Amino acid sequence: MSRLQESLRCFLAVEGVRTAALIDVATGMIVRSVGKPDPDLPAVATRAADEVRAVRSALGPAGAADGLVEIATTTDSRLHLSKILQCSPSEGLFLFVDLERAKSNLGLATLRVSELAPAVLA
Amino acid sequence: METTGPTDGMLADVLKERAAAKFSGALRVDGQPGGIIYFAAGRISGCETSGAPSLEVILLRSQRVSVSDWEAAFTAAAIGRRQMTVELVQRDLLGAGEAEALLRTALADAMFALVTGRVDGCTEAPAAECLLPLTPAVGSGWLLNEATRRRQVLASFPVPAPQAQDRIAAVPIAARGMAGQGQDEILALVDGRRTPRDLAFALGRGLYETLLQLARMQAANVVLVNSPGQDSGKRAAAVPDSKEEDRTVMGLPRRRKDNPSSPRSGTSGRRNIVASIQMLLPRSDGHRMPDGALRPINPTNSYKVVSTDSGWVPEVGRS
Repeated sequence: MSRLQESLRCFLAVEGVRTAALIDVATGMIVRSVGKPDPDLPAVATRAADEVRAVRSALGPAGAADGLVEIATTTDSRLHLSKILQCSPSEGLFLFVDLERAKSNLGLATLRVSELAPAVLA
Repeated sequence: METTGPTDGMLADVLKERAAAKFSGALRVDGQPGGIIYFAAGRISGCETSGAPSLEVILLRSQRVSVSDWEAAFTAAAIGRRQMTVELVQRDLLGAGEAEALLRTALADAMFALVTGRVDGCTEAPAAECLLPLTPAVGSGWLLNEATRRRQVLASFPVPAPQAQDRIAAVPIAARGMAGQGQDEILALVDGRRTPRDLAFALGRGLYETLLQLARMQAANVVLVNSPGQDSGKRAAAVPDSKEEDRTVMGLPRRRKDNPSSPRSGTSGRRNIVASIQMLLPRSDGHRMPDGALRPINPTNSYKVVSTDSGWVPEVGRS
């Protein structure tokens, strides 16, 4: 099995997770994904990558953008976590985790995702 | 730019045939830029083309891996008859997951360059080994769908996006818009002669990534695109910024300083974040209010938390 797929599957054990995907910031391409099949995921990934770029741009060029760790978006039914992964050429990669809000807790989900994230690229 | 094609072109048919036949080996694609596709049991494990930088170019140009480390790994892999990818991982130059991610990204970019170029024909090539094969290999359907998605994104710009063979020039400084995130490096290399392909190789970035940035820069009036068949009267000047004070001692365009009237200077980071995120919202739900205001994804309860190394910016963009 793909090493990436194996490490991404660990995120499905976090309560409320529907989908976990590794996305390229520069292109918005889904490198790998696991979870419930979602035909809208490519479009969501493109927008999430745009969002990461926009937040980096807003943080400014003086090093603050490099310190971006994650972006959390909450709606009535969903919780989206975009966790930035470092040490890649170009604009890098990020983890996109889609959770059901009713079944998850923002603080705990953030903690668990942060714990699991380093293993994805290792 | 035409947005259909990769999934119903000649190359797509050939890839489907090879997948059905569980073909293993190399397939030479003649055309412009042309290249070689490597198969493993009908799936694609690698693609080499002069139209897009390989992972080797990307790693070395971006200095993710130093030349000396690369050469040492290459020598050891050749002597030990190991795969280069395995050698890079064993030497801790790349993580296993990172190597797979970068190989998939580079492979998708190479296939994008092939399918958006001209394909004259495909022939089986003599047995050859791919330097950096992707394991496990990917299906051709995923690569073709990704190429189609990329063409659709480029086609969504209000003006035609640049193509790999177009010449790119900078807009004269007096009329130039502000370069965005990751665009200064491109702007420094733009000289009216280099093509997006040249820029991608020079910077160690993917071809699609470079085209996408150039399309954004064109939309922001930072660069001009000169297509090969374009009327000479409309062509961009080869060196548009002739003023000496606008250039550094190295002859490169001087970095644009923040203008007091620009949205970036004189505003707080939080306001910038709000503005940037609001810019995204209409693309997320496709709605704009009659008075021109932007409506968020979920008007009743939608907010974002942005965290950085040094702190949190909670509840941004709540409506």
